[in-house]
Amino acid sequence: MNIDHSEWMWLDEHHEVSLDELIELSGLSLEELHYLVKSGALIPNNPDEDTWHFNSHCVVSIRTLSRLKHDFELEPNAFALTLVFLERIRTLEFQLRGLGHTKIEGDVE
Amino acid sequence: MKFKDYYEILGVARTATNDEIKKAYRKLAHQYHPDVSKDLAGEEKFKEVGEAYSTLKDAEKRAAYDQLGRHPSGQEFRPPPEWASQHGNQEFSFEDIDLSDLFSSFSSGKRHAQGRNMPMPGQDYELSTQITLEDAYHGKTVDLSFTVPEYDNQGQLKRVPHTFKARIPKGVTNGQKMLLRGKGGKGFHGGRDGDLYLNISFIPHRLFRVMNYDLFIDLPLAPWEAALGATVKVPTFGGAVNLKVPAGTSSGQKLRITKRGMPKQNHEYGDLFAVVQISVPPNPTEQERALLKQLADTSTFNPREHFV
Repeated sequence: MNIDHSEWMWLDEHHEVSLDELIELSGLSLEELHYLVKSGALIPNNPDEDTWHFNSHCVVSIRTLSRLKHDFELEPNAFALTLVFLERIRTLEFQLRGLGHTKIEGDVE
Repeated sequence: MKFKDYYEILGVARTATNDEIKKAYRKLAHQYHPDVSKDLAGEEKFKEVGEAYSTLKDAEKRAAYDQLGRHPSGQEFRPPPEWASQHGNQEFSFEDIDLSDLFSSFSSGKRHAQGRNMPMPGQDYELSTQITLEDAYHGKTVDLSFTVPEYDNQGQLKRVPHTFKARIPKGVTNGQKMLLRGKGGKGFHGGRDGDLYLNISFIPHRLFRVMNYDLFIDLPLAPWEAALGATVKVPTFGGAVNLKVPAGTSSGQKLRITKRGMPKQNHEYGDLFAVVQISVPPNPTEQERALLKQLADTSTFNPREHFV
C-alpha cells in the first residue's frame, strides 16, 4: 500500500482541526474540551464563532493529556494545569533547539 | 503464548487489595510513564505495568487472570480448554497473540455480549522515523511497518503485520508530527479504524545544522580571507553558491544566504547561515611563518582591548 502526500494531516501551527476532529483524535469528551477552553488552557482560533477550530499542533498535547488522564486517573480540575505545562514544555523544547543562532546579514554573489 | 506475572510486575502479593494494587501502579507509573519519565527504557516497562494494572483493577478480569494459574514469567502456556468459552465466548488460536491481546479481546467480547454490535474504535499507533536532511529537502518515501491484533476469517485473534510505503512531503521540520487517519488498528462492530501518528526526526548532518526551516553551516576561513574579504564556495542542497565574505569578518559572525535553507510547506525556503570560523594553517611553511611574524611585529590590533 502506498500513502500519498495528500493523505497526511500536518500537526503544526500552520494547519487546523475542528472541535469534532479534536474529540475524535484525543479521546477527550466535548465537556472536557469545553472545560479546557473555558479555563483558557486551550484557545480556539475563532473563539467567537459557533464551530471552533484549533491549530493542529494542539492534537499532540491534547493526546498526551488524554493519556495522562487515563494512566494517572487525573481529576478534571488537573486538566487545564497539565495542558498549560505540556504546552510550556513544547515551547521550551522548540526554543532549546534554536539556542545560539543569531542572525547577521551577508551577501551572495 | 507467554505467561506474564501481573502481580510480580506490580510488585504486589496475589492477595493484594484493590487499594494496594492502585498504590503500586501509581508509584510505578510515576517512575516509568513515557510522558513523565526520563528513563529511555521506561516506555516498555510502563506498557507492562499498565497492562498488569488494567487487568488486575477489574474484578472480572482479575478473576479470569487468576484462573489461568501460576506459571514462571515468560513460560509458554495455554489457558484451560473451558477458559475461553467461559470468558467472553471467543475463539482464540493462542499462538500469535500475547496476554494483553487476550484480555483486551476478553473485554471487547464482554462488551459485545452486553451491548450487541457496540462500535469500538481501532487502536491508534505511533511510529517514529529518522530521515536525512537531504531526504527532508527533496521529500522521501519511507517503509512503515507495525503489527496489529485483528480477527481472521475464522474469527480468531491474530497479530497481523501492516506494511506500507509513505511519501513524506517536502516541508517537514525536525520533530514534525504527522497523522494518517484510519491507518491504525481495525475498528470493531462498525467503529472507526484507528489512526497512525508519525514522529519525524532528522539524522544529524555532517555539515549542516537545522533550526526550523533555517540551516547553519560552519564556514572555515583563513585569517587573510577574513581580514581582506574573499569569495568562497559554500555547499547547499540546491547546489553550491559563491558567498562574498566582507573584509573584516570575525569568527562567530553569521552570513545569511537567503532562501538556501529547507523548503517550507508554502513552497518558500528558509535561509542558510554560514557561521564563520577562523582557521590557521596547522603546519605553516617557513615563508608563512615569516609573514605572520612580520604581521605580528607591525600590527597594532589588540583583539582583547575590551578586557581592560
